[in-house]
Amino acid sequence: MTPPTQEHCITCSDEAVEAVVVALDGTTALVTSEGAEERVAIDLVPEAALGDILLCHAGIALELVVQG
Amino acid sequence: MKYVDEYRSAELARGLSAEIASLVRPGETVRIMEVCGGHTHAIYRHGLEDLLPPEVELVHGPGCPVCVIPMGRVDDAIALAEQPGVTLATFGDMMRVPGGRGSLLEAKARGADVRMVYSPLDALALADELPDRRVVFFAIGFETTAPATAVTLLRARDAGTPNFAVFCNHVTIEPPLRAILETPGIRIDAFVGPGHVSTVIGTDAYRFIPEEFGRPIVVSAFEPVDLLQSIAMLLRQRVEGRCEVENQYTRVVRPEGNARALHAIAETMELRDDFEWRGLGTIPRSALRLRPAFAAWDAEELYALPGARLEDPKACRCGEVLTGQIKPWECGVFGTACTPERPLGTCMVSSEGACAAFYAYGRLRLPKEPVGA
Repeated sequence: MTPPTQEHCITCSDEAVEAVVVALDGTTALVTSEGAEERVAIDLVPEAALGDILLCHAGIALELVVQG
Repeated sequence: MKYVDEYRSAELARGLSAEIASLVRPGETVRIMEVCGGHTHAIYRHGLEDLLPPEVELVHGPGCPVCVIPMGRVDDAIALAEQPGVTLATFGDMMRVPGGRGSLLEAKARGADVRMVYSPLDALALADELPDRRVVFFAIGFETTAPATAVTLLRARDAGTPNFAVFCNHVTIEPPLRAILETPGIRIDAFVGPGHVSTVIGTDAYRFIPEEFGRPIVVSAFEPVDLLQSIAMLLRQRVEGRCEVENQYTRVVRPEGNARALHAIAETMELRDDFEWRGLGTIPRSALRLRPAFAAWDAEELYALPGARLEDPKACRCGEVLTGQIKPWECGVFGTACTPERPLGTCMVSSEGACAAFYAYGRLRLPKEPVGA
């Protein structure tokens, strides 16, 4: 999700990315952001549903993003 | 693109720029510290300083998790990587941070098994793939990253994974902010608070800043319009005589944070008595270690580490950059002996480091040295 460019920090650092849930499998969600897909753990946001936007960081979802 | 286009609108940015200019008195100086390295990166990348009046000075704070790791902890990670049977996994930037014995990348070149991962969960998966080795995850980061390590530890415990361990270097954001506020000679008038850390700890965690130190703070998201709006909110507080915690990042940050994330951290980790921060010195109760219940996955319990405290290279002024006392380009080795390709100090390593961000986006604005001088 964080391509190795100067656009995003390639480390964990403290950068998180908002990504849309496209599939769910137990405690894992498949999310997409800017064309990139990644599997993230949803242990901390178990209520995540298809179409939700999640704030993702270092392989886990940190929070649901309120859609305006 | 949703949540990108509307937060990079030139029209909105111009309007906020004009509002910010109207909220300062000519000739005054308002020093605003952006705590988070992600904000520093965004400020330089989008040239936000050009949209601010000269009265507003942005000061870069200690919130780049790579930048605050002292050299001694890097040497400890190298010592772990050199243990027989150990595979050390960490985030990409940590591989390039110089310690007293070089970097992890150089240790890898000497034959150590060092792997780059994007998530501690990837390190745990690697342990499943390499049953004959112990995979040690070199964990760094503020409260944004600690939940990922916590969830990974809980999964390792639940799965009974015996060949996984964590070298825990997670730090917390409140103590360095207090340290900066209590340091004589450092004047900060207002704070732009970190967005993603606050997703976990909540905005209530910053109430000590207005209540004990009389400074306002606005927790901000990361796009250009977000940051300009946060600066305008801070200046509006000053004009209206208010001093409080405000939340600009309402689409994701709640006052109380994420209770599940805080619980996962509390279940797996506890505060250390003290921890050495690059540039800030030793700060009591400012970092996390694994709880005794997780000793079986704690690299500091499983291996004897050097634990040395090393002085930074004399020419490196990362400490002053991290506390906002000098700008990156005021360091004598900036862009010469210290570059992103060959960093001397941590601030030049991560793209969230103030020096690396300024090197990437801002250095062309510096006055050119006269040819032949």
